[in-house]
Amino acid sequence: MPKYVSHQQVQNDLKAGKISCQELVEYYLSQIEATKELNAYVEIFAEEARQKAKALDQKLKEDPDSVGRLFGVVISIKDVLCYKGHKVTAASKILNGFESLFSATGIERLLREDVIIIGRVNCDEFAMGSTCENSVYGPTKNAADPSKVPGGSSGASAVAVQIDTCLVSLGTDTGGSVRQPAAFCGVIGFKPTYGRISRYGLLAYGSSFDQIGVLSNSVEDAALFLEIMAGSDEFDATVSTKPVPKYSESLTFDKKAKIAYFDTALNGEGIDEDIRKLSFGFIEDLKKEGHTVESVNFEYLDYIIPAYYVLTTAEASSNLSRYDGIRFGHRSSDAKNIDEVYKMSRTEGFGTEVKRRIMLGTFVLSAGYYDAYYSKAQKVRRLITDRTIEILGNYDFILMPTSPIPAWEIGKMIDDPVTMYLADIFTVQANMVGIPAISLPIGKHSNGMPVGIQLMANKFEEAKLLAFSNSIC
Amino acid sequence: MSIYDQYETVIGLEIHVQLATKSKAFCSDDTTFGASPNTHVSAISLGHPGTLPRLNKKQIEYAVKLGLALGSEISLKSYFDRKNYFYTDLPKGYQITQDRLPICIGGELEVRLKDGNKKIRIHHIHMEEDAGKSIHDQDPKNTLVDLNRAGVPLLEIVSEPDLRSAEEVDAFMTGMRQLVRYLEVSDGNMQEGSMRCDVNVSVRKKGDTTLGQRCEIKNLNSMRYARKAIEFETSRQIDLIESGGKVAQETLNFNPSTGKTAPIRDKENAHDYRYFPEPDLPPVIISKAFISELEKAQPPHPLALFNQFQKKYKLSEYDANLLTEEKLTALFFIDLAQHSKNYKAISNLIINKINPYLSESNTGLNDFPISKKHLSEFIQLIDENKVSNSMAYQRLFPEMLKNGEKAPLDLAEKLNLIQSSDSDFLEQIVDEVLAKNPDKVATYKKGKKGLIGFFMGEVMRASKGKADPKKTNGLLAKKLNV
Repeated sequence: MPKYVSHQQVQNDLKAGKISCQELVEYYLSQIEATKELNAYVEIFAEEARQKAKALDQKLKEDPDSVGRLFGVVISIKDVLCYKGHKVTAASKILNGFESLFSATGIERLLREDVIIIGRVNCDEFAMGSTCENSVYGPTKNAADPSKVPGGSSGASAVAVQIDTCLVSLGTDTGGSVRQPAAFCGVIGFKPTYGRISRYGLLAYGSSFDQIGVLSNSVEDAALFLEIMAGSDEFDATVSTKPVPKYSESLTFDKKAKIAYFDTALNGEGIDEDIRKLSFGFIEDLKKEGHTVESVNFEYLDYIIPAYYVLTTAEASSNLSRYDGIRFGHRSSDAKNIDEVYKMSRTEGFGTEVKRRIMLGTFVLSAGYYDAYYSKAQKVRRLITDRTIEILGNYDFILMPTSPIPAWEIGKMIDDPVTMYLADIFTVQANMVGIPAISLPIGKHSNGMPVGIQLMANKFEEAKLLAFSNSIC
Repeated sequence: MSIYDQYETVIGLEIHVQLATKSKAFCSDDTTFGASPNTHVSAISLGHPGTLPRLNKKQIEYAVKLGLALGSEISLKSYFDRKNYFYTDLPKGYQITQDRLPICIGGELEVRLKDGNKKIRIHHIHMEEDAGKSIHDQDPKNTLVDLNRAGVPLLEIVSEPDLRSAEEVDAFMTGMRQLVRYLEVSDGNMQEGSMRCDVNVSVRKKGDTTLGQRCEIKNLNSMRYARKAIEFETSRQIDLIESGGKVAQETLNFNPSTGKTAPIRDKENAHDYRYFPEPDLPPVIISKAFISELEKAQPPHPLALFNQFQKKYKLSEYDANLLTEEKLTALFFIDLAQHSKNYKAISNLIINKINPYLSESNTGLNDFPISKKHLSEFIQLIDENKVSNSMAYQRLFPEMLKNGEKAPLDLAEKLNLIQSSDSDFLEQIVDEVLAKNPDKVATYKKGKKGLIGFFMGEVMRASKGKADPKKTNGLLAKKLNV
């Protein structure tokens, strides 16, 4: 079985009769089996995938024109996305055994195009983390070096694509959770504009930041997935009703781009030397191709992380209140009264990082601190947004390394959350502003780990971002 | 002067009105009252992971309708916020409400009191969702939770502290209930919990301009309890101050069986609700066109009708009150009044005949068996003296109830109730009666004017009740006073 990197390749071979959906699914299942020690999958929908593959092979045979646009595309989904009749647990004990009554709007739209979902993959609990270590299912390992983390929170989605267990994996991105693991694992990670894809069926972490993202081997796949999932949805009042362009049909970029980068980011302290070199090398290549790449002053870089953690934890503290042991999920068997049901169920059900963020969020919203933290952070968000949009008024893209450092050893930062939070510095900006961003692999660190570069574009300029990415990939 | 008379009570209300929308505030669940527990629920109202709220346009429409009726300023842009607290009947762990900028600001409700009307100012009206119900008394060990009500849309109407007594609170609640029913935004049913109020009570020495420390009495679901709670709380606070104590700001429950208020014991008083903007809902944007459309569609308001019924139709306060209690009745009256100027007759018909029939048969005006056309014709028969008042009510009306499809004139003819106003016919009978009783005529002429009743009776008997009393009276007077 060749390693397919795009849906066109798969569909060409399927239609030419070189392979069948059933063979493809068997191949991916064997890949999952062979890479079990990486701990990417928390549940495999083997029989279901086989059944669906069989039905699709039949459908192709009977009427080749009747198959959907994702015919033959096998995907995995992050354990924070609802899939009707399937478990969804956010890698948390608190949702132990919980089965969703409905499918996320994005998932529903993919299913209508004949996608095959092969399994549910690991992540940081409630998407909180940068390593995929904060999981009730244990850490997922990076296939490039199993002693290293795959990044997070959609770490296992990146690994699932990295090790060829599926063509595409769906992740979610609140502060870089799709792009950073993509960079750590050497795949493409794409986060659309906030509100481009419905959040209905995405287990909320930071509601005003969350967005479904795509991890893939090709820009074409990211474009097609966005095209299918995006657009208005009666179940999400915040989703954009703007018409959805045909991203997958406009992937050529024949102009010269004007790109900004922040010198304070690329030449600042805390950035890994190899990553800095690879990034500048990439900039030189772009210039050689005739694109303009210029350094731009961005004075708010140091304020992004503090403001982000105030706002997301505030929203999270409220979003996670529904996990109370009353109607579903884990309920402490020792609880004897209502207060104990809440306290003991949540104490037992949530992991350390989630508890830390709930407490932080509760604190910043509490009487007497609201103005100093929450209100202030909202003002900072506004400043960052205005300045970023201003820059994107003059430039097509903003370029930055996806992460200032390459994937680190499992366990290394587990007791140093602040250092880990700071490693999100380059990805968080896109979520603060709500703009689309993509991480593309640009080479390897001297230690052998993949390195990614990130491009951000203005709101709803996914078509331009994807076309440019496709042209330089 | 009693010590209590030296004080005045200052009261502000927070009224929760359940809106009569078909579906819940943020999802499509049914809102019908009285369904089996936990049958009107869905993934969204149960707060399942991944669910999001969506706006119910009717809720916004109803809020604007009420705001317009109260003369509030309508916010063209308002926001939803989250109020965070844990309780078993609050599935999401927060209530979606409006904290920063509510949909309606200001306004007033004019209420009728014994000694004149009073305008009670409204502070604001905001939209929110109801919680479910916790039932503590049906299982010895467990609290049962019914989430049918969770997410039902509410308006919270917050008054200024303009009320001074339980009577005023009663009048205000009655007026508000009547208004929401007129607007058809709520059924205002306190028994079913469609209307509930929290009462803020403080006392101060008469003449003082600063407010005393207030206590909030929660969840009063009947006017009787509200009255009792206010009366108890007023005395409690005055006693406390008079004995040298200070009123502490606290939240109280009213216990109907003891008639007393007591502090809510749980930690609710210490709650920090951590309000913050609801990130799942965009701001509510209302266009001026939408407002003016709703303005045009405003039904007549109860107080305006009450005044109109007294002035234009010259009805008593008592009649006007009864006729305007419900919008349907008032509009029914107005319809009938277009065909007859005998307003008192219409009023009597509705109050004495139609309303009792409706309450006995437990039906509504819409199901009333006699059409407005036939009722108008009925009034006309009386107006035109074709059927006497007493015959009309005693015999014709019951027949019409049985034969709603038949015209009143036909029924009256069939029953031989048509009274003759034919002057010749009447004159003939009057002449006959007078001729038969020459001695009585003589006595009358000597000054015993009371005998007119005797002659009337005789004419009636001779005409078998069909003589028009007015005309008979006139004729008799004419002939006897020659």
